[in-house]
Amino acid sequence: MFFRRRTRLSAPPDQGDQSPVFSQLLDRACDGESEALSMLYRQFLTGVFGYIAIRVPDRATAEDLTSEVFLRMVEGIHQLRARDEAGFAAWVLQIARIIVADYYRRRERQPVCLSLEPEGWEEQESNLLPATHPDTDPVRLAEARDEWRTVVDAINTLTEEQRQVLIGRLILGYDVATVAQMVGKNANAVKALQFRALQSLQRRLGRKTLPEHALPTHVRNQGGTR
Amino acid sequence: MNPLSEHLNDKLECQHSHSWSYEEPVDWLQSDSSASEEDAEVESLVALARRLQAAPPLQVDPIFAQHLEKQVLLHNAALHRRRSTSARGWLSARPLKIHPVFGKAFCCCLLVLLLGTSLLAVAQASAPGTPLYGFKRWEQHVQVSLFGSPYDRAEQQLQSAQDQLSSLAALPTIASTEAYLHALTGLEQQISDAVLTINALPPGSDRDRLSSELATLETQARHTLREMLPRLAVPERLLTTNILSRLGDVVPRLKSVELTSLRHPNGQIIISLTGEDLQPAAHLLLNGQPVEANGLLQNGVFVFKVNWVGNQLPQGVGILNPDGTAAQTTAIQQQILASNGSSRGTNPNNGSGHGNGSSSGSGHTNGSGHGNNGNSSGSGHGRSRPGSIPILQDKLGKPKDGRK
Repeated sequence: MFFRRRTRLSAPPDQGDQSPVFSQLLDRACDGESEALSMLYRQFLTGVFGYIAIRVPDRATAEDLTSEVFLRMVEGIHQLRARDEAGFAAWVLQIARIIVADYYRRRERQPVCLSLEPEGWEEQESNLLPATHPDTDPVRLAEARDEWRTVVDAINTLTEEQRQVLIGRLILGYDVATVAQMVGKNANAVKALQFRALQSLQRRLGRKTLPEHALPTHVRNQGGTR
Repeated sequence: MNPLSEHLNDKLECQHSHSWSYEEPVDWLQSDSSASEEDAEVESLVALARRLQAAPPLQVDPIFAQHLEKQVLLHNAALHRRRSTSARGWLSARPLKIHPVFGKAFCCCLLVLLLGTSLLAVAQASAPGTPLYGFKRWEQHVQVSLFGSPYDRAEQQLQSAQDQLSSLAALPTIASTEAYLHALTGLEQQISDAVLTINALPPGSDRDRLSSELATLETQARHTLREMLPRLAVPERLLTTNILSRLGDVVPRLKSVELTSLRHPNGQIIISLTGEDLQPAAHLLLNGQPVEANGLLQNGVFVFKVNWVGNQLPQGVGILNPDGTAAQTTAIQQQILASNGSSRGTNPNNGSGHGNGSSSGSGHTNGSGHGNNGNSSGSGHGRSRPGSIPILQDKLGKPKDGRK
């Protein structure tokens, strides 16, 4: 994978406390230093993308919204008061939450348009690649997309705190204490939120609901409806 | 706390440690089959978590990541340029980063400045005798000294004198003799300074205008001080009369005082006062206290006959006019008459140079005026016998020490 998942949760214990380093990184980023911004971007891209991807039904939308989050991050970072990693993560995820909420608000206002033409990616992929390739089988692709939509629907039934805990723990790889700081709860509350979130997802999804095949990353699923 | 949530968390931690140690790619499709039946629920949740973690829709496309990184950096560069441009024309939108020590020093300076300004504002309205009054005087002095032009300095001196007069007139009661005397001498000093500055100016329209303003101020001061006289005790009246004299007002002046007494200790004394502007209904002052005595004014000489008890003759003799002005002197010529009619003249204070009588008409009796007040006040308390002569407390409106 291009970006290695940052696993503070699983980091070796000899790494020590990195908060002063992060604070310096944040100061440099606030001053508009490109290198520092790059580092922050690389560190938080997985988390932000994961948070958005589990909220919206298709990858293209997730990528658009992720771009919007990082552009807003660059615009607002000089006004940021947080000086630690958890505070910064909470701030970035707050931007992501607002952008996702805006996305769903906009969608509600738009009339639903049904295209009479076959979806572009289906036609193109079926012409270009052999039908036997598992990643290009239109039936499997459609199934995987529908299954992921079910996952997104299930995630969207969680509370915002439960979502943030899942992102913090599973995607960003933070330990319980950092996630607790991020969501403003104590460690026990975070553990309880984590348990209830997974339990709720389990109830809604069951064991076989997650897509069995990865969506090919070069395929852009356009116009997924929720 | 729910033990299942704790258990789940422990399992997740173990899973993460395991994946870190061996760097094994997580197969999100396969759940862990080694779970026992007791913690089957926890195991299934752990498996779900792992499947979620590894779900392909949550993985970032590297091409997208690179593209977005470039976009972010370009956006940052554009923003940085825009902020730099606006910062050149105006203060930067970002707050200035100041070292904490300088920041604290700056805050302290700001606080001192704020306190100083507030103090000056409060001091402007302070009355004579209050702790802030000295601060006000100092501020006026600094203001005057800051002006380079003599015209501006004269203007400021006149303004300060006007303020001083206003605050003096605004005193509701004469709460403290010292405060009143302080304010009065301050007024006199400011007017004198203004006179000196204006006199040093070259002839011209500006000087004429300032002289006119000074004359108006002096007239106003005379009027104000005369209005204050009835509220004052004798020592303050003596000083106020002195100031009035220097402001060109018509006030009583004693040229000479002659005291004639019989040798008998409990006899009468005759006091003859010679001077200017002595009014017919004036009262006699002995040792700074008004006494009830019959007096007759004839050819500029006021003669009083007083019953006197004791060997010690009065050290200070003065006059209190009905308009409130007063004069006193310690330069007294004494004459003691023997019972057979022979006389012996003594003049214990003669030649001392103190007293209005010795300096009448000169207009420069500031020092002697203060001395008289001191003498009269001291002797009045220490040497006179209060029971021996009737004191005119009712006619003055207050006793000597009974200031309102």
